[in-house]
Amino acid sequence: MSYACLIVTAIVVIILLKLVNKIRNLFKIPAVPYLEETWWGPRDKSEEDDSIKPFTINISDEVIEDLQHRLKKARPFIPPLEGIQQQYGLNTNLLNKIVEFWRTEYNWKERETFLNKFPQFVVSVQGLRLHYIHVKPENPEGRKVLPLLLLHGWPGSVREFYDIIPMLTTPRPGCNFVFEVIAPSLPGYGFSEAAVRPGLGAIQAALLFKNLMIKLGFPKFYIQGGDWGAIIIHHMGTLFPEQILGLHSNMCSVNSLKSNIKLFFYSFWPTLLVSPEHVHKIYPRLAKLANLVLETGYMHLQATKPDTVGVALNDSPVGLAAYIIEKFITWTNPAWKELEDGGLTKKYTYTALLDNVMIYWITNSITTSMRLYAETMSAANRTLQVDSIPVTVPTAAARFTYDLTYSPTVLLKEKFQNIVHASDYDAGHFAAFEEPKILSDDIFTAVEKMELFHKNQHSS
Amino acid sequence: MGALQKLFIIFAVLAIFVGYRLNNLLQPSPPPKLEEKWWGRGDPAGEDKSIRTFKVHVADEVLKDLKYRLSHARPFTPPLEGIQQQYGMNTNLLKEIVDFWTTKYNWREREKLFNQYPQYLTSIQGLDIHYIHVKPKATNLKVVPLLMLHGWPGSVREFFDVIPLLTTPQTDKNFVFEVIVAAIPGYGFSQPAVRPGLSPAHAAMIFKNLMKRLGFDRFYIQGGDFGAIILQNLAVLYPEVVLGFHSNMCTVHTPLSYLKTMVGAVWPTLFTKAEHVERVYPLWESFVHRLRETGYLHLQATKPDTLGVALNDSPVGLAAYILEKFTTGTNISHQSREDGGLKQYYDYADLLDNVMLYWITGSMPTAVRLYSETFNKNFMSLGTGRMPVQVPSACARFRNDFYTSDGLLKEIFPNLLHLSDHEGGHFAAFQVPDVFSRDVFVAIEKFENFNSNLGAKT
Repeated sequence: MSYACLIVTAIVVIILLKLVNKIRNLFKIPAVPYLEETWWGPRDKSEEDDSIKPFTINISDEVIEDLQHRLKKARPFIPPLEGIQQQYGLNTNLLNKIVEFWRTEYNWKERETFLNKFPQFVVSVQGLRLHYIHVKPENPEGRKVLPLLLLHGWPGSVREFYDIIPMLTTPRPGCNFVFEVIAPSLPGYGFSEAAVRPGLGAIQAALLFKNLMIKLGFPKFYIQGGDWGAIIIHHMGTLFPEQILGLHSNMCSVNSLKSNIKLFFYSFWPTLLVSPEHVHKIYPRLAKLANLVLETGYMHLQATKPDTVGVALNDSPVGLAAYIIEKFITWTNPAWKELEDGGLTKKYTYTALLDNVMIYWITNSITTSMRLYAETMSAANRTLQVDSIPVTVPTAAARFTYDLTYSPTVLLKEKFQNIVHASDYDAGHFAAFEEPKILSDDIFTAVEKMELFHKNQHSS
Repeated sequence: MGALQKLFIIFAVLAIFVGYRLNNLLQPSPPPKLEEKWWGRGDPAGEDKSIRTFKVHVADEVLKDLKYRLSHARPFTPPLEGIQQQYGMNTNLLKEIVDFWTTKYNWREREKLFNQYPQYLTSIQGLDIHYIHVKPKATNLKVVPLLMLHGWPGSVREFFDVIPLLTTPQTDKNFVFEVIVAAIPGYGFSQPAVRPGLSPAHAAMIFKNLMKRLGFDRFYIQGGDFGAIILQNLAVLYPEVVLGFHSNMCTVHTPLSYLKTMVGAVWPTLFTKAEHVERVYPLWESFVHRLRETGYLHLQATKPDTLGVALNDSPVGLAAYILEKFTTGTNISHQSREDGGLKQYYDYADLLDNVMLYWITGSMPTAVRLYSETFNKNFMSLGTGRMPVQVPSACARFRNDFYTSDGLLKEIFPNLLHLSDHEGGHFAAFQVPDVFSRDVFVAIEKFENFNSNLGAKT
């Protein structure tokens, strides 16, 4: 071989070696980061009252009168374009119906009594007064009582759990355990205080809720969540495996480079990845990604300019209702986009939907709720790469067909390495709200397997 | 078959595929022919084609209602510690603006300002189109017609300081402008379409027809933001009516231009002037910057009707949403200023004039629909954005606006007679009317020379 050939070969080999290292780095698992116990609240540490205080929702008449006035004086809506239902966003003919109901039939005083039916408390964690519902089983009847932290997402609230909480805290025949439920409002949502300094993303929220549970006297506990709730509990599983007995998620997903490469290759033979009835939930890739683009405008805006859009949403109740309720259409069933009435009454009542909107309205929390997007997607949080760190605690994935994404168990295992239970149901994103019985049944089944897992761990 | 032969075949197939695609990349398609659609209600047969004079006059009730909403605005969420505009409009700044709006801003006086120029309405394809029409005073100079279009979240208001400059003879130019400043359908006093499909291409047709109604068979065009997009479509679809195109937002979105931009990452000065390289590269930074600033675009292109409700029901919300663009759109570095850099370049009264135009007409919901009509398969498959503009063109680049490199411009603007760089931001006519108007004069002079050499009759 000539010298030129040798040199070229040497250069190519060096480049390849460098690339191999770079590629290996892409797939390296990062270390669990150290998280600062940041003080998030407005008050001084020294003056913070640590005690747990009972809480009742008690909104002044002025707030309700002001709301009524705004509903009455809402500026006329622009009618939808000819032949359009929900394709350009919330149909204003539908919105007119909802607002009319809100104005004339929705009775806040009654709803307030309803929302106060569960014992609620406020306690300060890392400087933030966190609101939570705490329901113990009334009569465990000799069953083991397991603490369960339930986390909601956006644009939801603790309201989503009002039907499922009694199901979780009532003993079941043939089941030797029952749950004690702690359902907080996320920081900056509803009755939970919002951070006054930047940095409170999903990872930091995970720490906040671990600290909450420890403060409430639960060194070990189960966790359940969807939407942001899911993301936060996944981080809790990663960061605090010692505290987490098991994790039940109705929005398990994995979005790593490896999984995306696999998805591409499996597109040539999808039934190697999932059984035929699930193929349409994943493929064709391009169509699924196009649909994601169609449905993530709000996320893009909230991750970058939450304070801008928050002003209008916090000042106009009809605007807030439109913005929030649109999600209950498209994320419960995308087929509802073709319906002028949005299909809402097939699964929900206007009353229940408005309860949720009211929680945002009466607490002025829409802006701070949206900031969670900006905080989580910040460069600072993304460099922690917590998403790439596996979860080894017992995990259950409840997948709902009409949710935004679908991840088959085979791919989930890359991140969730101890899946004890995975199931598929035909319902949407707001699982607890839409199908509380299905979700609570799944939680019981999953935790039964997790309890068995722990029992076997102890005996071995 | 041996492995080597298999590899060869794979390479050959790839090469042919790439070559075929490149060929498609390099060959422009002919402009499509658009159907003239009826966008309004009522019977096309009964359309009133007259030109009606128009004056802005807002009813007292509207002003009373606005005052009530402003003074009863719900308390703003304070900005996070140490944050200026990085999470969006800083509510301390917003408070200052709303205080001004409530205590010092006098609409009746501003209304007089609006009505200083002759305004008209005329129905084109079922929609009343609002426009300002200013002719120069009696002059011996040649008078050339110029159609000017605003964008989002702007309005005809952006051109108020430019109009007198363009309609006043310059000492060194032998022509002067007759200016038609129109409002895009669905914006301000121009009626919105009642059926879907009014894309920039169809808007271009409406404006061609508007100018025809006013008696202009050929005219010059000037635009920025959506104005530039619509007028670029006009130049591509109806070159026979366009004497020349001046844009302060020349953008190129051909596949070849993306390829060039990526190749430029390895060799920046191949397509970009050395002193402008930092505006494009590193590519990752440009991409992240664009991602950070296009949330509104993504939402408006997909769910405009959802967003529109709140913006049309809360004046403080509308002001926050619009004025945020005047902070970062004027200069991205204003993101780290609690005052958003607004007072440095604008008067609050002028900024609020623009906001008022959206409020009193209730046009924000229909204005944002333009994004949905633009970013969809129907319009994008027309491909007008990828077709070259054959008419004489001018690109005025303002430093803090979107930037397109010299080497890319030629793909869309093969007849680029004027390329200039100025200090200023996205809202050039509004921010630097003198520099802006001067550039328009210089460009059109070049167009005039080109056209007269061609023997073109205006």
